[in-house]
Order: sequence, then C-alpha cells, then structure tokens
Amino acid sequence: MIVTALRWVVFAIAAFALNFPVIATLVTSFKSSREIATNPGLWIQAPTLENYIAVLQVTDRLNIFAYLWNSTVAALIGTTLAIVLAFPAAYAVARAGYGRRMLMPLIVNLRALPLIIFAIPIYMMFQWVGLLDTQLGLGLILVVVNLPLALVILVNAISEIPVELDEAALMDGAGRTKIITTIIAPVCRSAIVTTFIFGFITAWNEFLFGLMLTTRQAVPMTVGASFFFSSGGGGIQWGTASAVMIVAALPPAVLGLVMYRQISRSLTAGAVKG
Amino acid sequence: MDTRRHLEWGVLSAPMVIFLLLFLGFPALVNIVYSLSSVSFQTLRSPELSGFSNYVTVLTDGNFWRAIWFSLRFGTITALAECLIGFVLAIFLAPLFEKRSWLLAIIMLPLMVAPALVGLMYRLVLHEFVGPVPHYLWAWFGSAPAFLNATNAFWTLVVVETLQWTPFAFLLFYMAYRAIPFDVREAAQMDGSSAWDMLWRIEIPLMAPTIAIALFIRFIDGFRVFDNVYVLTGSGPGGSTRSLSIYVYEAFFRQGEIGPAVAASVLLFIASFAVLFAINQGLARRAR
Repeated sequence: MIVTALRWVVFAIAAFALNFPVIATLVTSFKSSREIATNPGLWIQAPTLENYIAVLQVTDRLNIFAYLWNSTVAALIGTTLAIVLAFPAAYAVARAGYGRRMLMPLIVNLRALPLIIFAIPIYMMFQWVGLLDTQLGLGLILVVVNLPLALVILVNAISEIPVELDEAALMDGAGRTKIITTIIAPVCRSAIVTTFIFGFITAWNEFLFGLMLTTRQAVPMTVGASFFFSSGGGGIQWGTASAVMIVAALPPAVLGLVMYRQISRSLTAGAVKG
Repeated sequence: MDTRRHLEWGVLSAPMVIFLLLFLGFPALVNIVYSLSSVSFQTLRSPELSGFSNYVTVLTDGNFWRAIWFSLRFGTITALAECLIGFVLAIFLAPLFEKRSWLLAIIMLPLMVAPALVGLMYRLVLHEFVGPVPHYLWAWFGSAPAFLNATNAFWTLVVVETLQWTPFAFLLFYMAYRAIPFDVREAAQMDGSSAWDMLWRIEIPLMAPTIAIALFIRFIDGFRVFDNVYVLTGSGPGGSTRSLSIYVYEAFFRQGEIGPAVAASVLLFIASFAVLFAINQGLARRAR
C-alpha cells in the first residue's frame, strides 16, 4: 500500500520533471505580455489567447503557415519515399537474406553517424542542382534520415509473414513485384503505418538540415520557430515565442500520444535489432 | 545462390542502394576530395589538390580538441545519467504501468518534441527575468545561478539532454523488464530469493544486453549532439559548449573555411566509424 503510494509520487515527480519545459512553455503561452513580466510562475492570473492570435499573423519576416506547410510537405516526402525504397529491399532481406550481412548493418549504423558529416557536401551538391531551399531537397535528405529505422521495422514485419503465402502465389504464376504489392504490403499494413508515423515525427523534428539547406522558401517549422527568438527590434516577445513552440510541437506530440503503443514497440525493436 | 537469382533479389534493393549512393556515397567522395584541396566559396567548383594541409590545420587547432573533449564528456555523462535514472524508474514504476499502459504516453512525451524546440523552451525556462526556474529559486532560496555562463553551461546542457532522453532509456528497460519470462521469476521465488537478490542475480543479468545497447545509443546521440546545444548556447561562452558537430558547422558557415570544415568532418567520420566498429564487435562477442 505504502509502496504503491510511493510509486505514484515518484511517477508524478518524474512526469513533471521530464515534461517541465513543455509545461512551462504551455503556461506562458496563455499569459499576456504584461503578466509574463510580472508573474514568471507556473500559474496564470488572466488566461488569454492573444499570443496565439499574434503567432498566426503573417508578416514579411515571419509566416507560420509557410513553416507548417514546408514541414508537412518535406516530412511527407521524407517518409513516403523512405518506405517506398525500403520496402522491396526489406523483402529481399527477409526472404532471401539478400543484404543481411553487409547492406543491412551498414544502413543501420548510418543512424549513429553525426549527420553534420554529410551536411556540407550535400549543401554543395544541392547548390549545384538547384535543390537548396526547396521542399523537395529537404524531403530527400529526410529520406536518408528515415531509411535505417524504416528498413529495420519492415524487415521484422515481413519476416513474420509465413513464406507459404509467397510460395502459393509463385505457384499461381505471380511475379515478385506482384507478390510484394498485392500480398505482402497489405499484410504489413500496421507496420507500414507505424513506420510512417515514426518517420513523420522524426522528419518533423529534424533541425540541422532545415537550418543548413533552407533560407527563405522552404524553412521548416523547427527552424522557423527559432526566428521568433530573434525578433527585429525590442526584446524577445516571450508570449508569442511560447505560443509558436507549442504550435510547432503539437503535430508530433499528438501523433505520439495517439500512437504511443506502436511507437514504443518500434523504438525498442529498432534499438534491439540495430 | 546462382547469378540469376542473385540478380532477381538485387533488383529489389537497387532503388534504395542507388538512392544512398547518391545521397551518402557521393557526399562522402566530395568530402574526401575537398578535404585534400584548397577551396573557398569562390572556387567551389574547381578545388585544387593541396595535400594534407587542411588536416594539419584542424589537428593543430586547439578548439578541435576541446570540441572532441566536450563531445566525449557530454556523451558519456548524459548516457550514464539517462540510463541510471531510466533504469531505476523502469524497475520501480513497472507495477504501475502493468494495467495502465497509457501512463507510458506521459513519460514518452519528451521524445516527441524536437530537441531544437526543447532547447528553445529552456531559453524561456531559464531566463533570469521571465523564466520560472530562476523565479522559484529566488523566491525559495534568495539566489539563482547563471545557468548559461561559462562554468555552468556544460552542466545545464547535461541536465537538458538528460531530461529529454531519459524516457528513451526508461522505455527500453521497461520493455526488457517485462520480457523476463514469468517462470524465471517464479523459480527464483520458490528458491526463496528476496526481491533484492532477484534484481541483482536474475533481472539485471538478463537485462544486460539491453543496458549495453541503451548506453551505446545514448552515448552516440550525446556525442553527436547539435540541435539543443545550438539553439540554447551556440558554441557557448568562450566556446565552452562547442560540440564536434557545432565545430564543423561553425567552421563552414561562420568562417567559410570549407577545407578545414570538410577535413574535420572526415576525421569525425573516421572517429565515429572506429567507435561504432569497436562497439559492434563488443556487442557481437557478448551475443555469442
């Protein structure tokens, strides 16, 4: 009994401490700028939506809708293309062990390399081919970021499907491509959804490549949010800045909260198999 | 496997392999060529081979070694802290999660927020006039440290990183803890082992591979840290928080020193590869 109570206390403290920056930002985002200056505490005297209204104003310098749109498009490219590329390769690994010894470890370890190593040459490469500051360019690089985990999750999922399913289809004269698209992919639906959600969150939260590869047209939300901290003239508008961080964090947070079961499982699978 | 079948399977991986060659192979090649050349933003397309002078520049730069030291120390300390706290929480709180798995979502939330945003949030949280942390420290203790000055910035960042990524270690340990077969625990209980005995003799040994993997992943992530450090302190007062990733970034974008920046990233690549190789070997040997 006492131990259980103690567990709840520890849980409450841990939950509060781990989420503290989010809680503090959320509270601040509902305060007026006058209240922020006089009451930095974790309670609100007079809740207001003025910061959220301010955030949604488009100026020539700041445009939150553009950032949200850029992040969405780049993350969709980065996730969809990663799945499209990884799926047939995962099938070859799972069914024939093709690439299990060399390709797979190489790609999985990719996840552990500091991304900055590739950032400079990719910056130059993008400059040559005109992909700098485009949603497509950012999306393509997010494919690289998402590929390793996509491959691991999909290999695991395909390995669990009985080979007899393929063999029966082969007997009926179906080709590999047909088997993959009409038999394997539908069975792997939930793994594909998990990969998609996980990839989308990762892509949305990426910062380094957004910072280096975009300047005006294709700025993603994570980078755009930092613009609100360098507002021209006067100090930082803390209320607006808080609201923009909440807006920026919301899409992945909601996805994560809804899909926490799948995400926790694939996080663990990715770690153990990687 | 005969050649025809080999080809049949190879075709399936081909799109992914070609994509990676284009986006990683080619950049790696560019890295190597440019690191051996004298090049500036003006002569970007016509680098002139100049031997190893860029490497000499980097290797004789005190800031490079300080960045290595920062990254190693940061990676080690945060990995240990995250895994220790995550482990204790996972074991202690496991009974609560048994029937209420939605509680996991609350603990996992920090993992969903971009590290860059978390870093920005701390600019508010730690701000001396509008930040709640200094506010309460003043109210309760009558003083608050300057969290981001040269002496404190390192440890502030350690706490920031640890608070965000402890849930990751927690999650791995919780899953591994739950995966311990029921009959193993039962058998131990039959033998009259206390809970403490069980933890040290059975649970920790069974979870050892997961602990090793968690330490490894967290170390690597701490070692290559960029986002939260960049938005919170940049390279910090007096370069006190310049991680290796930030070192390379600054060399390229702030100083336009393309050659040395690229040479530094090649060195970083070699170092990471060596670490990865060593750890993979270690893990593989354990698995056997």
